Amino acid sequence: MSDSTMTGTKRTASAIIAVALGIAVVGSLGLTLHKISADPHGKLYATKESGTINVAGKDYPKATIKLGVYADNAQPKDVGVIEAKVNKQDWVHFGPSTHLVLPANTYITMTIRAYDGGERLNTAYFAKVVGTVGGTMNVDGKDVTSIPDDKVEHTFTLHGIPSQGQDSLFVNIPLMKVEEGDNGFLPTQDPGTGMKGHTVTFSFLTKGKGEYVFNCEYPCGDGTYAKFGAAMSTYGYMSGKVTVA
Amino acid sequence: MSEHNVDLKPTPGDRFTTFLKRKDIRETLAWAAFYTAGFVVLGGVFYTKWMPTSLSTDMKSIERLMVIFTWISAPVCGLVLSIATYTFRHGTRGDVPPEDGPPIRTNFLGVASFGAMAGILTLTAVVYGLIEMNSASEAAAKDAPSALIVEVTGSQWVWSFNYPAQGVSSNELMLPKGQPVIFKIHSVDVNHSFWPVQLGIKADANHFQTTSVTTTPNKLGRLDVKCAELCGLYHAYMETEGAVVEPADFNNWVTQNGGHSA
Amino acid sequence: MTTLSSHVSSRPIPNPKNSLITKLNAGTGLIVGVVFAVATYNLLKGENEDPGIAYNIHNRALLAAMFMWSIGFLVGIGAFIGPWRWLIGKDLTAEEQLYLAGDGQGIKRYFKYCTDHKVVGIQYLWGVITLLGVGGAMAMMIRTNLAAPGGHFITASVYNSLVGLHGITMIIAMIIVATGPFGNYIMPIMIGAADMAFPRLNALSWWVLFTAIPVLCSAWFLGGIPTGWTAYAPLSIQAGPGMNAFIATIIIFAVSTAVAGSNITATVIAMRAKGMTWNRVPIFVIGATISVALAVPAFPTFMVSMIMTALDRTYMTGFFDANIGGSGWLYAHLFWIMGHPEVYVILIPGVAVLMEIVPVFVRMPLFSYIGAVVGFAGIAGLSILVWAHHMYMSGWMPMLNGPFMVTTEMISIPTGLIFLVMLGTLWHGKPWLKLPMLGVYAFLWNMLVGGITGIYLSDVPADNYLHGSMYVTAHFHYTLMGAALTGAVAGLAYWFPKMTGRMLNERAGYVSFWLIQIGFQVLYLGMFTAGAEGQPRRVVNYASQFATANRISTVGAYLVGTGFVVLLWAVVHSWRHGKIAPMNPWGAKSLEWTVPYPVPLVNFDTPPVVTSDPYGYGKAVK
Ligand SMILES: [Cu+2]
Ligand SMILES: [Cu+2]
Ligand SMILES: [Cu+2]
Repeated sequence: MSDSTMTGTKRTASAIIAVALGIAVVGSLGLTLHKISADPHGKLYATKESGTINVAGKDYPKATIKLGVYADNAQPKDVGVIEAKVNKQDWVHFGPSTHLVLPANTYITMTIRAYDGGERLNTAYFAKVVGTVGGTMNVDGKDVTSIPDDKVEHTFTLHGIPSQGQDSLFVNIPLMKVEEGDNGFLPTQDPGTGMKGHTVTFSFLTKGKGEYVFNCEYPCGDGTYAKFGAAMSTYGYMSGKVTVA
Repeated sequence: MSEHNVDLKPTPGDRFTTFLKRKDIRETLAWAAFYTAGFVVLGGVFYTKWMPTSLSTDMKSIERLMVIFTWISAPVCGLVLSIATYTFRHGTRGDVPPEDGPPIRTNFLGVASFGAMAGILTLTAVVYGLIEMNSASEAAAKDAPSALIVEVTGSQWVWSFNYPAQGVSSNELMLPKGQPVIFKIHSVDVNHSFWPVQLGIKADANHFQTTSVTTTPNKLGRLDVKCAELCGLYHAYMETEGAVVEPADFNNWVTQNGGHSA
Repeated sequence: MTTLSSHVSSRPIPNPKNSLITKLNAGTGLIVGVVFAVATYNLLKGENEDPGIAYNIHNRALLAAMFMWSIGFLVGIGAFIGPWRWLIGKDLTAEEQLYLAGDGQGIKRYFKYCTDHKVVGIQYLWGVITLLGVGGAMAMMIRTNLAAPGGHFITASVYNSLVGLHGITMIIAMIIVATGPFGNYIMPIMIGAADMAFPRLNALSWWVLFTAIPVLCSAWFLGGIPTGWTAYAPLSIQAGPGMNAFIATIIIFAVSTAVAGSNITATVIAMRAKGMTWNRVPIFVIGATISVALAVPAFPTFMVSMIMTALDRTYMTGFFDANIGGSGWLYAHLFWIMGHPEVYVILIPGVAVLMEIVPVFVRMPLFSYIGAVVGFAGIAGLSILVWAHHMYMSGWMPMLNGPFMVTTEMISIPTGLIFLVMLGTLWHGKPWLKLPMLGVYAFLWNMLVGGITGIYLSDVPADNYLHGSMYVTAHFHYTLMGAALTGAVAGLAYWFPKMTGRMLNERAGYVSFWLIQIGFQVLYLGMFTAGAEGQPRRVVNYASQFATANRISTVGAYLVGTGFVVLLWAVVHSWRHGKIAPMNPWGAKSLEWTVPYPVPLVNFDTPPVVTSDPYGYGKAVK
């Protein structure tokens, strides 16, 4: 049976074109979503250091990485944010990027400069240092294993999907709030900008390759339920990715 | 049939035999047997193959239940698919509609037996489910006195566990084999759902009320703890691991993490 | 053969020159709507030191703007001219009423506030196609992301938005997929009516629904939604501005459903042809009526839950916020008291379409008409007593899990009746295997799988494992898509000749049917496996053990997607170039096949008198 006003070949051709068009439309939609999913600030790579370090009878190469936690849009340009890509919202965020790339099977030393104020955690557990070498972190020169849960500014909490056929990695670092004459810890000023903050340094071991995420467990999405909306729930502010490559 | 039977009314037995001898009935029955057998095999293989290792009796009974439910429903599948297959095979193709069939509007025996079958199968499923459910809650009540208590906290997007009697908290779920455990679950923010996959239990973590759920791990092995309720940005990453270990190993773990064996 | 040209209305086109209604259309609606929305937003927006209050103010401004868009659009298209005239003690003139019916206005009437039920039916059809297209494209994105573990294709927030917006788009599309196009276009003719009981309300229901579509799409530009279509509180209270779009969509849609539902119910009760007693009503009409009658009480609870969510977000009322005395369970109850009946609101019309089709193609009476009616009514009745099976694991009243399990599993009995009716009609027949009839076979398989997996899920111990897993996702796609959507597509193939005057291209129809159905099995059997293995639903990334199952699912999804594009081509192509359809191409006995195409404005030249049900097929038994 044939249709009334079109030949068979023409009909088949139009059907094929329609299918191609459909694929093109859906494909371009996909590309758009893929594009808006891109890291807003590119990737931040750890710097490899020379020499190795022995942990529990095994030698590891070393690498370092530096992050900052900035209240609102206080992030200065000299930490490497490209002007055009600066956060569109006036929200607290990790910087210079929220996509960290770390080498595998490496002793990572991470330094976080924490400039923000804070209060009490929703879950006290995250006031504890977890997953670092020796179970400690260094705050302004002092080694500690935890800080009081009402003196927390943010946390750096790294985790993944353990059943993903990749090594599991869990690190939790509570960051101390900046307060006048506080807590026996001494915030220092950045040269140049004069921004006051604590320096938190800690080391952990990466294992095999894998994809992880990190987020903050201190409720800093102000104005929203449980203070976990806004900056907390939007990718690229208080949450990010960690690629172990 | 012999000649002097011609004038007599056929007995129900005779009618049944002639019914079975009909060609359409035979083919349909063959298909029904085929599909029923297919689903029986499928039920036996699919769930046992794909469901994870069970580390508790709860998980074991769920696995058994999935298999048995498939078997209960196998005859239903057989019936539906055999009639579908038979009529599809004998359907009419082309542009000319087929002739009208017999004007059958209903069939008391057919409706009644179908209804009875649906009722009985449903009843079986209901009764079986209720029995399983009750034995689960009975076990929970019995386990309570000697149980290990684990406080489970769901925070947007990380699980944490506190063992109050041992004075230990962790982001991994460690359980001693053979000891009943009561999970007391709550959330500090939105709804989560606590799902230790291999234990066959699940309970929502609510902010406004603590929920609790009980099980007894009866085998050593790895645990995956997932979140089964969409809880925002990193719901997919709200997963941690754990293990069911020997009681001695559990005690070692407790002391290593600064707690005291209760 | 009756052809296109044989029945063009001979009435002069009414042209009430001075009336405002001749100048209004969707374009003027758009302008007024946008002006209303922008003005409202600018009037209400504001700053505040306190981030909580700033958040409330922002939500207020956005929500109000969305509602004012809807109202403005309706003002601009002239929806309120009639009510306004009543207020000042007048009504539309007869000429104006005739003008609103749109007879002889060609394609323009589809963009106007047109009261002809056939125009509304076509508007709904294209609305449904649009929504299914958008929802389907989102499904392709979801499956593309899940093709391999890692979640590399899109980021978590975009993924969560996709999941939620795919869900709600499809739910809305599926609620109207059969009752919209066929309930409006075909049903009044089927019962021998000249139009719907309330033609202006009919136009209103469509245009109200129409205004919800841009609101829903705006969610994407407001940061998306993190909650899924269930919009559980308190996550919805935490969510960003995109959530307002979701809330406004549901409230607007609920208004549309209430209007459409009461209109369809009233039409079937009051407008049936002489002699069409209740036992002579075509089964599709029964199914559609039961469905909308179920929606009428169900949807208000969804609307209320959304109003409460909106109040929590705009005035911190705390209905669902435990910190100020609320409870998330309250939301879950309100939602599922709508949510469970709603799945049957979707399912029943789709099944009823297929029941209408079976006798025609098997050429035998519908087996056990009473069984079909009792089956639909039983499903509808039980469906309002089962909602808490979605809350077995919530911690709310574990002692009620047993009773809810019993009511839920009892639904298998009326569902069994539905199968009995279909199988009984098929048995002894030699079905004519045309496209609509293939839908019946696809339904039998899909509904079987969907139904049986539903029994596992309704079982409390099994749900301990399955709840919140991909198994659930696969299960409800088998029922809603495999059964209900298959029914609606079969209905489109069946009634296409009456709605367009042309036959749906058969070859493309078959190609799309097999692509969709085979792809569908691959897609969801893969998903069942992932669920049985323990993959949670709504996850952007998953454990590597689920990789194979997910890859298989994605391949299936692409087949389904291609199948639907082919179907869309077939619809568009056949609409324009298809073979001219005879008046009754299938030799059916219901009333809609006794009118020519184009169907005259009042459907029947002389009101029909009905003397039997439309299933009087069959030769005498030998
Ligand atoms: Cu924070
Ligand atoms: Cu979650
Ligand atoms: Cu339900």
